[in-house]
Amino acid sequence: MSDLLKPTSIVILLVVILVAPTIQDRMSAEASRYVNDSESSHDGLPTIWDDKQVLCVFFPDDYPHQDFIGGVTLIATDGETIGVNDDFNRTGACVGGFNGYTDGMDFMMDSTRTARGKLSVGYEVGEWGPYVHTIGGLNSNSVTGDFSGAYWHLDHNGAMSMVGIGDLAMSEGDVLAWSIGTW
Amino acid sequence: MYDFHNSALSPIQTILLNAAILSIIVVSLMRSERSLRSQSQWTMLALLFVFGVSGRILLDPLPNVQPVTVLVLLAGVYYGAPRAFALAATIALASNILYLGHGPWTIFQAVGWGLVGVLGASLADRLIVDGQLRMTPLVIVAAGSGFAFNWFVSLSILLGPGSSMLVPYLLNGLSFDLYHAAGNIAFVAWMSAPLGEMMLRHRKDPSRKSVRDVASN
Repeated sequence: MSDLLKPTSIVILLVVILVAPTIQDRMSAEASRYVNDSESSHDGLPTIWDDKQVLCVFFPDDYPHQDFIGGVTLIATDGETIGVNDDFNRTGACVGGFNGYTDGMDFMMDSTRTARGKLSVGYEVGEWGPYVHTIGGLNSNSVTGDFSGAYWHLDHNGAMSMVGIGDLAMSEGDVLAWSIGTW
Repeated sequence: MYDFHNSALSPIQTILLNAAILSIIVVSLMRSERSLRSQSQWTMLALLFVFGVSGRILLDPLPNVQPVTVLVLLAGVYYGAPRAFALAATIALASNILYLGHGPWTIFQAVGWGLVGVLGASLADRLIVDGQLRMTPLVIVAAGSGFAFNWFVSLSILLGPGSSMLVPYLLNGLSFDLYHAAGNIAFVAWMSAPLGEMMLRHRKDPSRKSVRDVASN
């Protein structure tokens, strides 16, 4: 038994390493069906964005973005500001009106680019995929306070994203929101 | 000036480098075990602790493939539930504080691995027959423990986003459960026999204890 077990165990491990990404994709798609496209995730956004894809970035009160101080700035796909909503009770920017994106990272990079450098993204690619550390000039490592550490937290349709931005599968009308989380 | 520390390793190179370092640690620990007196149970637990912490940190690039689950399972089998639980909790705490990140999830990992140790202790009579580990049931228990441990740790999501996110969270974790189970099977295949022999040498002999008790009375 143990003679056969050693090579078999290596084969099993290699098979898992090879098939895990496929299983992960299937399961992410399956899991995203449970994350319902919450109506409330579009609250406060222009109605013309209702079935469109939107990316929001919210900054902490102690670390506001100098261009988005007076509420949440709404930016269209051409980069033009279409309004500022101060009902959010937080500050930042939402870029919206996109459609057709299925890959979270592609959407993140393209949508932030339309904000003309004001929401530029810094990330590292590690073993677990891309790790976003900076958005709009705010590096989460520079955020300090009465907590152990801070990170850029990702919400998908109003609920915590189960996967990182690199593994996120998007559908029409999805709203991604980044904000600083702490632990 | 050229700074060698700046050289970036690919994920495969990192895994190979870490596997080499872990091999050095394992060989050194096995050599040092040979020079121990028999029944140095606490020293043996300390060696297992070092192996668990370094194994978990160094194998981090391979998600969920780490020796801790099999270590605490065997510790439960040979040393009983309380010591396996203590080993599990100290490995979880130390590796999280040193490198992997400490937070509310640490308590779930500590208790999850502790329960694997309790399982090992409760199945000890079935997993060891005539002083020999029975590989088939051990493989099954180790693989099953991988799934059970992951699902237990996933319960930590109830502290944050709530129960509605539990099912998608478990679905997203399935590939990581498979990594854990496959890793456990490999560790059982390659390590359980030498580890079992080492642990057996440092198990307190019950008959000896009773003789000593009689003598002291």
